[in-house]
Amino acid sequence: MSLSRLADEVRLIPGGENLEMCYSCGTCTSKCMIQQKVDGEFNPRRLLRLIAMDMREEAYASTTTWLCSACDLCYPACPQQIHISGVIAAAKKVAVQNGHPQPLPTATVNQQTCVACGLCKEACPYDAISLQVRKVPWRGLLPVAVVDTALCMACGICGAVCRSNSIGVAEKFSDQDLVENLWDWLQPEEAEF
Amino acid sequence: MVDAARQPLIEVKAYTEVEKVEGFVGNFKVTLREKAKYVRADRCNGCGACAKVCPIEVPNYFEMNLAPRKAAYIPMSQSVPLVYNIDMDTCIHCYKCVEACGPLEAIDFSMKDEFVDEEIGAIIVATGFGHFDPSPMEEYGYNRYPNVITSMEMERLNNSAGPTAGSLIRPSDGKKPQNLAFINCVGSRDKRFNESCSNFCCMYAIKNAILVKQMNPAVDVSIYYMDIRTPSKGYEEFYNRARAMGIHFIQGRPAMITEDPETHNLFLHSEDISLGKVVEHEYDLVMLNQAAVPQPDQNHMSSVLNVAQSPGGWFMEYHPKLRPMDSPTDGIFFAGACQGPKDIPASVAQGSAAASRASRILHADSWQIEPTIAAVWPDRCVSAQGKACGLCERACPYGAIDYEQGRAASVINAKCHGCGGCVAECPHDAITQLHYTDAQILAQIRALLATEPHKKILALRCHWCSYGGADLAGTSHFEYTANERGIKVMCSARMDSDFIYEAYRLGAGGVLYSGCHPQDCHYITGQIVGAKRAKRLETIFDRMGISPGRFRIEWISAAEGDKYARVLNEMQAALDAIPESDLLAEIERTRPEMAKRLTRLPNIPGMQKAMEQTEVLVNTMLSKKGVAA
Repeated sequence: MSLSRLADEVRLIPGGENLEMCYSCGTCTSKCMIQQKVDGEFNPRRLLRLIAMDMREEAYASTTTWLCSACDLCYPACPQQIHISGVIAAAKKVAVQNGHPQPLPTATVNQQTCVACGLCKEACPYDAISLQVRKVPWRGLLPVAVVDTALCMACGICGAVCRSNSIGVAEKFSDQDLVENLWDWLQPEEAEF
Repeated sequence: MVDAARQPLIEVKAYTEVEKVEGFVGNFKVTLREKAKYVRADRCNGCGACAKVCPIEVPNYFEMNLAPRKAAYIPMSQSVPLVYNIDMDTCIHCYKCVEACGPLEAIDFSMKDEFVDEEIGAIIVATGFGHFDPSPMEEYGYNRYPNVITSMEMERLNNSAGPTAGSLIRPSDGKKPQNLAFINCVGSRDKRFNESCSNFCCMYAIKNAILVKQMNPAVDVSIYYMDIRTPSKGYEEFYNRARAMGIHFIQGRPAMITEDPETHNLFLHSEDISLGKVVEHEYDLVMLNQAAVPQPDQNHMSSVLNVAQSPGGWFMEYHPKLRPMDSPTDGIFFAGACQGPKDIPASVAQGSAAASRASRILHADSWQIEPTIAAVWPDRCVSAQGKACGLCERACPYGAIDYEQGRAASVINAKCHGCGGCVAECPHDAITQLHYTDAQILAQIRALLATEPHKKILALRCHWCSYGGADLAGTSHFEYTANERGIKVMCSARMDSDFIYEAYRLGAGGVLYSGCHPQDCHYITGQIVGAKRAKRLETIFDRMGISPGRFRIEWISAAEGDKYARVLNEMQAALDAIPESDLLAEIERTRPEMAKRLTRLPNIPGMQKAMEQTEVLVNTMLSKKGVAA
């Protein structure tokens, strides 16, 4: 069977099964913290609709596909009990599989220093890290941490737990950047109201 | 209601509960508990002097606890019969009411619950529906925010006979709200609580919105909805009228209500689907349009009346399209929302239909029943020999078997619906089902498996579901294996293990055991009896070494023609996967085991003759050219 429809592809990935149970009530969107605090255009309901209507390019380009942090505030509120973050993760996976570039930085591994202790794998909330045997230049065939870019949400927890500084979100959020910015962040902000 | 009470042939028994229902259509024996009212109905004239002097005030359930009532009370002002009642749970025995009643002497504290047995011809159940309590939905803050009310509370506040004499006020400060929101589908169309649609709430919200708007056109009313459902005659026009009046309809289910702690105003957070934007509006008062749910004691009533319940908890009708007012038990009928959420026109229609169905019974001298009922051969029943058995009684969903150790079991004809569960369960073949006798069905099996049995798949189908599914597969032209040979019985409960042993003894390639989905069974719990037996057989065949694909259990509804075709094709594929020599060897190996389980068969009355005739028939068929067996 050829999968021409985006909805079929998403439904086949674990998490995406209940996609078409959505009847667009909008509860998820009005529950969403990203929608309220980060990006007003972020809209899980609309993304589910785009997928169901096979609007592939729009779905890949939507910020909703990439920004969802799977906090699952919407899941218990959904009257159809759709695990929305699961559907979004499935859509992201389809996008990556189809060669759409990840717009966000993802965690990267320094294979030269990784000792495959597995701490990052345990810590990753998105199950994006696995230990796989790879051929590493100068070190030979040995297990190292591998990041599934389709699942990585760039939270940086892996970088925080790594004992050998071998993994982390490199761009802007390396350990060095964070330490440098720490002082600024600790300054009391002026109250907004 | 007043008319009903005045009609001489109608007796209204208020404050009375049904304790027990025995008997059968036309001859029910019903035990009623007439609860003590502590006021004698034959003396009370409904003057209300007792309530005036009563010092006790408790929340009034009829007013949704928005107003008080006395311990001496009537539930509502239009109560029929108009007889007061003393609530003994709250009464302090001051006896002021006895003084106030004076020479009427209607109040009698010595009254006790009385049990009355009545002979009843037909029963109409009209117990209505209950209301979903929105407290578990924390996002809406019902019970936490004073100005979030339910639709029933709104009904009382809006009613001229209600606690506020029809003036709609906010519970927090008594002010008249200027800006109202109604939220639809609270607890309905929500898999966390009730999956089903409550049917009438869209119209109900529109009605309330129009009532509010008619009182004061300056009030702003918004209805938050997921879908507006106005399918009946005149409903869409009513919806248009609401729109013309300026009522706002906002598509989007609010995710959250927050409250301003000082003003107690409410903020609704929802996505406005039409705008594609998240909006937040401020309201004075929010009404939650709560779901209709089965009555809290629906389960209890179901067991008292011996009628089944649908998955949502409502009473289950005999047939959703053809007999929606009949229960599966003859002589018991449903009217209104006890069978499923219904609006007033539908309830009235069903009530009238139920009344006319019931009057057929009351005016009949005799009553036609299904011809396929069960019958016992008393000489074969082991209970007559003093042995304990009772398997037939346990299999019967209708309580139609009269079993007592020491005498032969017998079938109460009027109660039997002919599922055949008892027939198949009886280990001594002491029961038969008219028109579906063991001899008839075994003869069919022999005829169908007369030639090349190892290539055939015997499909046992139940009359109501899987036979319908097979029929639909045929009329829809779904292609499935031509090696299928089907036999219809009334229920999967009738599918005797002997049939399957005999099929395998004859060398059948595969056997399909199919019937209704458990919630669809037309014989209340017949499918459960059948499913238990099928599971048992599955283990037996597994132990015997029957290849897994050769015995299959599937529940197929009459609408699932595609599933029927798919299951048969899968079975054929499983059969094809076994090499023919292996299959034949397996059949030969298990044949003695099967035959051992069938040694009783020739002793069943009528069996010998049926088998002889089958043989003649099969031989004639085979000798005719071009007739496929």
